[in-house]
Amino acid sequence: MFFALFESSRSALMSIFAHRLRSFLTTLGIIIGVASVIAVVSVTQGMSAFIGDTFASLGTNSLTIQSYTPFEDQMKGIRARLTPEDLELIEQRAEGIASITPILYANRSSQVKYGSQTAFSQIMGTTYAYQDVSQSYTQEGRFLAQSDNTTRRRIAIIGEDVRENLSLPENPINEYFELGGEWFKIVGLLEPRGDIMGMSQDDIVLVPYSTMVSIQGNQARTDIQIQLSLSESAEVEDVSSQLTNLLRNAHDLSSDEDDDFRIQTAEQLMEEFNQIIGMVTIVIGGIVGISLLVGGIGIMNIMLVSVTERTREIGICKAIGAKRHHILMQFLIEALLLSLLGGMIGLAAGFGLGTLIATSIPGFPPAAIPFWSIALALGFSGFVGVLFGILPAAKAANLDPIDALRYE
Amino acid sequence: MALIQLQGITKYYEMGFQVVKALDGINIDVFRNDYLAFIGSSGSGKSTMLNILGCLDKPTKGQYHLNGTNVENLDQNELSEIRNKEIGFIFQSFNLLPRANALGNVMQPLIYRNIGIRQRKEIAIEALERVGLADRMDHLPNQLSGGQRQRVAIARALVTHPSILLADEPTGNLDSRTTIEIMQLFDELHAEGHTLIVVTHEDEIAHHCHRIIEMKDGKIFNDRAVEKGTAELTS
Repeated sequence: MFFALFESSRSALMSIFAHRLRSFLTTLGIIIGVASVIAVVSVTQGMSAFIGDTFASLGTNSLTIQSYTPFEDQMKGIRARLTPEDLELIEQRAEGIASITPILYANRSSQVKYGSQTAFSQIMGTTYAYQDVSQSYTQEGRFLAQSDNTTRRRIAIIGEDVRENLSLPENPINEYFELGGEWFKIVGLLEPRGDIMGMSQDDIVLVPYSTMVSIQGNQARTDIQIQLSLSESAEVEDVSSQLTNLLRNAHDLSSDEDDDFRIQTAEQLMEEFNQIIGMVTIVIGGIVGISLLVGGIGIMNIMLVSVTERTREIGICKAIGAKRHHILMQFLIEALLLSLLGGMIGLAAGFGLGTLIATSIPGFPPAAIPFWSIALALGFSGFVGVLFGILPAAKAANLDPIDALRYE
Repeated sequence: MALIQLQGITKYYEMGFQVVKALDGINIDVFRNDYLAFIGSSGSGKSTMLNILGCLDKPTKGQYHLNGTNVENLDQNELSEIRNKEIGFIFQSFNLLPRANALGNVMQPLIYRNIGIRQRKEIAIEALERVGLADRMDHLPNQLSGGQRQRVAIARALVTHPSILLADEPTGNLDSRTTIEIMQLFDELHAEGHTLIVVTHEDEIAHHCHRIIEMKDGKIFNDRAVEKGTAELTS
């Protein structure tokens, strides 16, 4: 058995290399199919691995509460809100919370200016607790202090990107810049955190929460976000059901009404991202699966031609003692090797393509090929080879030696 | 005991609604070291005879014992094995594998015997040396002359040490000088103890043999021994 396999492989390889161009064109369908699978998988897996790392660094024990208005209600002009009162309530009543901070996003222009440079940035009003909750630390200067909040100081902590965009000096501490028409003093520069999904995490300006409130004016419509981190012994589920009860009571929701807020954990966010990526992988994988099928049909087609072409050879081999399985094996292995070769070339091409895509889009995470995708690509192309090789091989093996010898 | 025993071998072909009797009740015994020619015009049944002797085809009726084995009840795979062991084919159009060199062609039947590459090479080189082609082993068939190709084919037939060598118009595609060379080789092989069966329509070739069976309309018309020395006169 092993002997026959070895001999068949040898003669199959000989025949593949005897018609190099034809073999290449035959397996091109497989090459393209596998290359696209691998390119897609390597890009999405790279992204997914990166997102996993990023969320892990965000801390898995933090929660974010946001107001949530169903689209239908938005059309009616109803807006759900989270208010400073909600924050106070949670601070006083909820258990298992290590630190908690409000975040108020600027709802007007978020233009920042320094000298002649202007830029747009994400401006957030928050408190000293933000540092613990989001685990972002300063590389220069200090973070927000409790007193900054109570005295509504006009100070700001900026991200690395903001510093670059405004052409601020390497150490921007004590520089003044303009934010929404007011002058702010820079007291801290955050450590760079990189990108998530191509969005910079360093293009932010942090100001004291009460300062932000006072700039925004209109307090009645304030809608804040609340971020909190859990104390070590607390369970995410417990705290989040506790918060749900508190907020539902505070918002006077009857039992048949839906929550007008959303509690999100970093894990949830990560799962959502991964779900999206998983969907993309499956959909594109499915499309690519069709192209592998087409590639397989291409192989079958050429193998059938090859059987016809080599009818006489098959007759000779049978006359000098080849049994059915000798001929069957030879053609089957030829089809298998063709598609496996295609699979391997496709694997290399796909990885190259994935790397090219990943590096040509700035800020995109590097491509990564998980082992399962290599196994899947080679396994599937081998399967295609055998599946579509069987028919031609059986045709060859069943040839009558006399007819085959007489074939011109 | 005869090497080949044919008893009442009959072969019918159905051509549309017509039934053609290619062979009609053939009885022949062939003995070891016979040197036998089948002659006859086209349509006389000699090709069918060759196919049946070579176990490529099965008779409709009758019994064929080859080297003690009754071939009648064997399936395709078993026939392949018999062909590999007992029969060395030499064809008119050489029938070499075009993509394998001379050595590869001669080694091919040994693959089906599960002989490893090193031993295969040894045996094949011996056979090529026997037919005088030791210096052409790595040539492809299309780099060889007709006579050389037929020598490769003969080496391929010899390499398995078969009971019979079965040649179908072995010189049909060769010029007269090469024909003489090949026939001399056949004579030598006979002298070495091989059993040769040649199918031909050329009397000249047939008269190298020691026994000539003339066929006509699927029957044996004449079966005679050739007296050496007088053969040339009778033709």
